Amino acid sequence: MDVLQVKNLTKKFGTFVAVDGISLDLREGEILGLLGPNGAGKTTTIQMMLGVLTPTSGMIRYFDKNFADHKEEILEQINFSSAYTNLPWRLTVRENLTYMSYLYDIADRKARLQKMIEIFRLKEILNLEIHALSAGEKTRVNLAKALLNFPKILLLDEPTASLDPEAAKFIREFLLSERNKFNLSVVFTSHNMPEVEEVCDRVIFINKGKIISDDTPQNLAKTIDISHVELNVADGLKRTIEFCRKQNMKYRLRGRNIVVDIKENKIPDFLKQLMNKGVNYEEISIEKPTLEDYFLQIAAVKSKK
Amino acid sequence: MKNHRIYGMILRYMYYFKHSFDRISDTFYWPTLDLVMWGLTSVYAKSFMPQGSQIILVILSGIIFWIIIWRGQYEITVNLLEELWNRNLVNIFSSPLKFSEWVVSFIIVGVIKAIISFTFAVFMAFLLYKIKVFELGFYVIPFIISLLLTGWCVGFFVAGIILRFGSKLQTLAWSFVWVLGPFSAIYYPVSLLPEWAQIVSSALPTSYIFEGLREVIYSGRLDYSKLMMSFALNSVYLIFSLAFLKASFAKVLEKGLVKVY
Repeated sequence: MDVLQVKNLTKKFGTFVAVDGISLDLREGEILGLLGPNGAGKTTTIQMMLGVLTPTSGMIRYFDKNFADHKEEILEQINFSSAYTNLPWRLTVRENLTYMSYLYDIADRKARLQKMIEIFRLKEILNLEIHALSAGEKTRVNLAKALLNFPKILLLDEPTASLDPEAAKFIREFLLSERNKFNLSVVFTSHNMPEVEEVCDRVIFINKGKIISDDTPQNLAKTIDISHVELNVADGLKRTIEFCRKQNMKYRLRGRNIVVDIKENKIPDFLKQLMNKGVNYEEISIEKPTLEDYFLQIAAVKSKK
Repeated sequence: MKNHRIYGMILRYMYYFKHSFDRISDTFYWPTLDLVMWGLTSVYAKSFMPQGSQIILVILSGIIFWIIIWRGQYEITVNLLEELWNRNLVNIFSSPLKFSEWVVSFIIVGVIKAIISFTFAVFMAFLLYKIKVFELGFYVIPFIISLLLTGWCVGFFVAGIILRFGSKLQTLAWSFVWVLGPFSAIYYPVSLLPEWAQIVSSALPTSYIFEGLREVIYSGRLDYSKLMMSFALNSVYLIFSLAFLKASFAKVLEKGLVKVY
């Protein structure tokens, strides 16, 4: 069942088209990645989905209801967290969560606040003002705010930006467990591709305000046929470089290692030719294409244009 | 409208008040300073005047009643600025909070702060000069209500401008209301103003309020026509200022609340 449907959503700022007729849907219990280079239109799309930016045209429907007509009812059931918005910095963590809890129709506010404090390990920082918190702590408070109203849909705009690996891991694990326990649906933007591969069931790529692909992370990665072959060359590094140059192959050096980008079906032939040239390598690793490769390809196309 | 959401926003602004030394000093420091300075000046001026002059009461009641307009508008504009400085509009308007509930929370916080500042100033006036403002009788209450309405009109209008153009025009939050001061006849009669200024003055509810208050001080009589005129003007300005604020908010939504600061 689709909990969110977006049809022909467009946003123009003067003559600039930030979002250009995109259509997407979000299924119940699905984690959907919204990816794209900077300025692609991801944040603009999320803002329209939250009702804090008026679309130029198009339609947004949550739970089969038109967002424009049922805004209050729908906003009770969704929430968001972003690395780019602040909570009032002079208020303490407790005060921020308390006043926000009153903006939602929560049956037992005290119990819910207590639960959020436990889940996000906020007890120690409850009486600290927001400006005194680290980036990781602020993210935890933001997420606690986003979960206060038992949302059925969470919109997360780069929730792990500027976090240390441990804090980012906590958030990924938390999202997956919430989805499994409560069938929570999530729209997730991030520039961290391994993270998106780990968390998202499906990924939509946006570029210049348009959707250019919509598939699972694995299927998108498969559309790239370039693998990365890394060789630890014991003898013949110069010959290998020379060979790559002649064959117009992309390569980069990592100390005595060389990483060559090559089509998967050409790898046996490539290795055979190196052997013929007397190149000795001690170690070899072949990395299959990832979502990051797909992302880089899109970014490259964007910069060429 | 949902009471719990209005209460949530009132909590948000009262928490901020608790943590902000600027806001606490705004409530107590400036009224005290005004009362001390102008009170002493009027005590000095009275020494040149005939017995029974009401100069101290006129000046001090002017200061005290002006606090009501000032606080009414100030709470609206500064609380809006607080949201812009914190980039918090996205957080509150991605919740079910309605625009009207937000406005009501401003109004209630404004009334609370106006009562605090007014009571404090009345107390200080008594402490320093033995002036009892409520000796004027309960006639002053409708004037207080009308003054609050004027404060809201100014507050909504300035908030609309700040929403449209952002915090680069934040100085209006502190300064705009003072433009009305010279035309409001706070300490002197409207007839003292030049002709063109009297025309401006006749369009301001504040001039009727302060003239009416002076009449109560001098004659103990309430001029209902002045009171009604102030309410009529306030009603018109309130409708226009609220419509302007609402239109500014709609305009800002076209840009996106993230981009307003």
